[in-house]
Amino acid sequence: MTAQVDDDSGGALTSYRAMLHGSDLQGVGADSAAGTNQGSGHVPQPAYDELLGPDGLREVNSAVGEAIDSLGRYGLLTRAARARRFVQSDGVTYGSTEDGVQGRNWQIDPIPVVIGAQEWADLEDSLSQRAHLLDLILSDLYGERMLLHRKVVPPEVVLGHGGFIRQVDRVRLPSPQQLFLTATDLARGANGEWQVIADRTQAPSGAGYAMANRRIITRTMPALHRGVDLARLRGFFHTMRGALQDVAPETSEAPRVVLLSPGAASETAFDQAFMATLLGFPLVEADDLTMRDGRVWVRTPGKLEPVDVILRRVDAEWSDPLELRNESQLGVPGLIDATRRGTVTVVNPIGSGVLENPGLQHFLGAVAQEVLGEDLTLTAPPSYWCGDDAQRSHVLANMSDLVIKPITRDANNASRFGWDLSKEEQDDLRRQIEATPWAWCAQEPIPSSSAPVITRDGLEPRRLVLRTFAVAQGGGYRFLPGGLGRVASEIGQIQVAGRTGSVAKDVWVQASDDIATEPWAGHPSERIATYAGAEPSGLAPRVAADLFWLGRYAERAEGTARLLKVADDLTDDYGHRPGSLGAAAMTAILEAVALVTAVRPGLVESTTEHYPTEPTTHLRTLVTDSRTPGTVGYAVSRMVQASQQVRDQLSLDTWPVLSRLTETLEAEHEEESQLQSLLNQLIESLLAFAGIMSQSMIRDRTWAYVDAGGRVERSQQMVALLKATLAQENSPVIDGQITEAVLVAGESVITHRRRTAAGRGPASPVQSALNLLLLDRDNPRSVAYQLDRLGEDLRLVGDEERAEIGGTLAERLRGVDLDELGGHDRSALLALLNDLDGDLRGYADAIGARHFMRKATQTTHLTEWTLSRETH
Amino acid sequence: MGNQSDADFEPRQYRVKHRTTYTYEDDVTGCYERGCLRPRETPSQRVLSNDIEVSPQPDLIADHVDHFGNHSHYVEVRTPHTELAVTKTSIVQVEWPRADMDALNATTVAQARAALAADADPVERSTYLLPSALVDLAPSVRAYADSILLPDKPLGDAIVDLTRTIYTDFTYSSGSTSVKTTLPELLENREGVCQDFAHLAAGCLRSVGLPGRYVSGYIETQPPPGKPKLEGSDATHAWTSVLVPGGGWIDFDPTNDHLADSRYVVTAWGRDFRDVSPLKGVIFTESKASKLKVAVDVIRLDTLAD
Repeated sequence: MTAQVDDDSGGALTSYRAMLHGSDLQGVGADSAAGTNQGSGHVPQPAYDELLGPDGLREVNSAVGEAIDSLGRYGLLTRAARARRFVQSDGVTYGSTEDGVQGRNWQIDPIPVVIGAQEWADLEDSLSQRAHLLDLILSDLYGERMLLHRKVVPPEVVLGHGGFIRQVDRVRLPSPQQLFLTATDLARGANGEWQVIADRTQAPSGAGYAMANRRIITRTMPALHRGVDLARLRGFFHTMRGALQDVAPETSEAPRVVLLSPGAASETAFDQAFMATLLGFPLVEADDLTMRDGRVWVRTPGKLEPVDVILRRVDAEWSDPLELRNESQLGVPGLIDATRRGTVTVVNPIGSGVLENPGLQHFLGAVAQEVLGEDLTLTAPPSYWCGDDAQRSHVLANMSDLVIKPITRDANNASRFGWDLSKEEQDDLRRQIEATPWAWCAQEPIPSSSAPVITRDGLEPRRLVLRTFAVAQGGGYRFLPGGLGRVASEIGQIQVAGRTGSVAKDVWVQASDDIATEPWAGHPSERIATYAGAEPSGLAPRVAADLFWLGRYAERAEGTARLLKVADDLTDDYGHRPGSLGAAAMTAILEAVALVTAVRPGLVESTTEHYPTEPTTHLRTLVTDSRTPGTVGYAVSRMVQASQQVRDQLSLDTWPVLSRLTETLEAEHEEESQLQSLLNQLIESLLAFAGIMSQSMIRDRTWAYVDAGGRVERSQQMVALLKATLAQENSPVIDGQITEAVLVAGESVITHRRRTAAGRGPASPVQSALNLLLLDRDNPRSVAYQLDRLGEDLRLVGDEERAEIGGTLAERLRGVDLDELGGHDRSALLALLNDLDGDLRGYADAIGARHFMRKATQTTHLTEWTLSRETH
Repeated sequence: MGNQSDADFEPRQYRVKHRTTYTYEDDVTGCYERGCLRPRETPSQRVLSNDIEVSPQPDLIADHVDHFGNHSHYVEVRTPHTELAVTKTSIVQVEWPRADMDALNATTVAQARAALAADADPVERSTYLLPSALVDLAPSVRAYADSILLPDKPLGDAIVDLTRTIYTDFTYSSGSTSVKTTLPELLENREGVCQDFAHLAAGCLRSVGLPGRYVSGYIETQPPPGKPKLEGSDATHAWTSVLVPGGGWIDFDPTNDHLADSRYVVTAWGRDFRDVSPLKGVIFTESKASKLKVAVDVIRLDTLAD
């Protein structure tokens, strides 16, 4: 069972062992965080460590042990830092903050939890039995309800549970199994056996995170990863993809599947989007869908596309505002009726949350006997339902030793750890239980196992919870090998949950012969072939808008950064030479910067003093401030936000670039480096982003919207820049310098010089600049060029009409006579640019109106009380 | 309890016309409705015909029998409109038996409770015994129930007392409550409409262990003496039903202080108003306001079916 490790060489393992034996897991650090044990000593200690057994390193961990030993404390810390960087560069987020930006608090520890092939096979059998049982219960509860009629389960347990949704009574999936996905939270009991903490059947989250973890650990611990033969994760998603297509209504020949998300502000938005990517199905939100003729459709410009299967990540209560929560904007009105009529399949089915009821736990053994004629092989700690007099007496007499749970869990009513409660709190809870005993249950705590986590002080044992994932296919359940491991974020912490803080663990299942030989886990859907041939989906207005704005903000960030670079150059050269011609040019360019960014010095939010602000300070603010529209920082933060909204549409290469952009901007606050080098770094990253867009993306609708956004932005920025510079009446002595600056900002100075030197193009520098930046259809920076590309983008998304508007604009530009515009009097130029500016804005609005229209405001009405009384 | 003549329990036919009209200031581009647009069949009621009219022309009407056994309709209208009208016209034949109060009085409230716990269908019993969204079994509700439904009181008398006490204690006042009024608020303010009284009666029953359900429907009304009956002058009505040992349900009306008789037409029943809302909807519109108009006619017909 164990392998020998030289305790003296590493040190990290030795001190970990000492810590396991010497310390009280509940005591250490227990008073440092909320939700931790107050030390009354009622919670059983972890008696089982994942890494070390009674005789030393567990055999499955021999490679991990060696890695720990050879890395040593310093090496481990380095790996932890590396994992943190990967989390950031992969853009793995968890939780959300108020302004809609996704939380950056996903944490992962590099040391994997290893489960042996045989142990996993046994666990999978037990989990499979449990999944089958839950499936039969679900079927019964929304069907005959024999379990309740026969009182195998007291009816109040189910009928009083918030997850029992009467509106879906007798609605069935077109598959033998009604429970499509199930997740199970497990922890080890005192003897190391896995026990069930809870079932997650509403809309299980975490499989995407498990895959993200694997991707990170593979790169964090490459040698270790190579050295261990593991069961791969990808097959599960492949299986799930097929299963989703198989569960489509029988009438659909090439099933279209979407993942319905509550939105990018959702806590597990990353998991949802990554899942959509792994499955290869689009991520949609309620606004992207519409109900028509009793069917669900994706809204795309000019066309509706039918939806056959919805992978639901919106909780049931919020999924149909007509039938359930009227105020919900996250669901589709009529969805339940559509599932009843079988025009669409929703999985997990609405109503599956009834199985998350902890009150069921006590009766599962009896139910297994009744419906399977078997004992449950996967055990759970003893639990009690307070609706039964004897059980309630037991709970009330032993409150301090139990986890007390309302059968319906919600934001206002969470589980309580009896040992954490004061006398008053216990009395209060007792009164609540006695008032509605059927609504309460209790469970004995699970000792759980410990797993090592890398800290500055060496390895520390933390309680481990494992969430497993299964999907129904072909009459059975297929499992993700391992699952999502999580350990407490504090050493003494007992609850391991996202909300209270946790650290993720990659879970490695050693490959067995049958897992290793089938990386794609068999069972592709019979319908895949037809699906692959189906038309590429159009994009919903929300998605199109986010892609468009992603393109716009990326371009705005780059354009602004280039202009600021020019302004900073001039400030560097002439800032200390007031009165010089250069200083006059500098002032003119700074004025142009104010016009183009629409941020006036002194009006920046974070600046307390009023105008005048030192130019360099102001320029720095224009780069780093992320809250004031017009700054580079703002454009980057909106760019990141927009990309998070459409995560499933973008290449995985996008995230490291976005992460580097954010890091560059944030690092600047700490050290006073040169603004030039900061701007260079930003431009470099923005070019890398542009490179991914142009080199790694298929020329489809997704790309077209991003590109169109960039084109619209670049043309508007160019017009704004020209208005603010060349269209102003400048003294002829600085006109040349300003023209040069504009050409630099417009990335066209080299061409300008070459042409001037060769005697080609207009003779006057101003006219040459206008020609290059406005009219030249071969210059990728010119307005004319943007209009040409925009037309192509719009044709790609099937919008000939808007493409033609652009054509007309381009035509008008072609008729412009430079001789009239570049002379001393610039009023004609200004008038032209003003017109062009108006036309471009109108054009952008027209595109928006066609492609980005949200649905009308959704409201609900109920017939109010009406009245009747017999007239006496 | 109010007097009911034998004639009130004789069979009769009604034509019930129920028209709900919503008007908006701006176009509604999508409208999804759920409603009970067909009366259910009951031992005391047969539905001879039922006609549903929706204007504008709906894109879809679908119906099914819901969890409680009611007919439930889904309506989808996508023609842009500023007025939605849903009209249901039903011809029903009604004949309620007079409840045998002597038989009910053979058991006490406590005995009935015990008998139901032992013998009633567990699912039906629990469904109508647990609190529900609008039937909150708050301490004040329990206290009120305990003062009326004494354990030793004969069951028939208890039902009569509950009906009468609510009738006496509360003032009928339209507009004094809404769908959001809770039972403790009702007990505090002592005024409400039929829906409130039906919820309170159900809450009292459930508090003492007797399953109580909410029944929605109509009642035939008489115009003031000497006046003709005006079109649209009737309204929807709500009352309460209690499960008694043996599996029967006794319907009683605390708003009017008597048991249900052949003037009562049932639409649907459930745990409370939420389960049987006559019509509710989700609409897509930029309209800021909407107006609701409900017109009900309960017309007694001369003919009788076999």
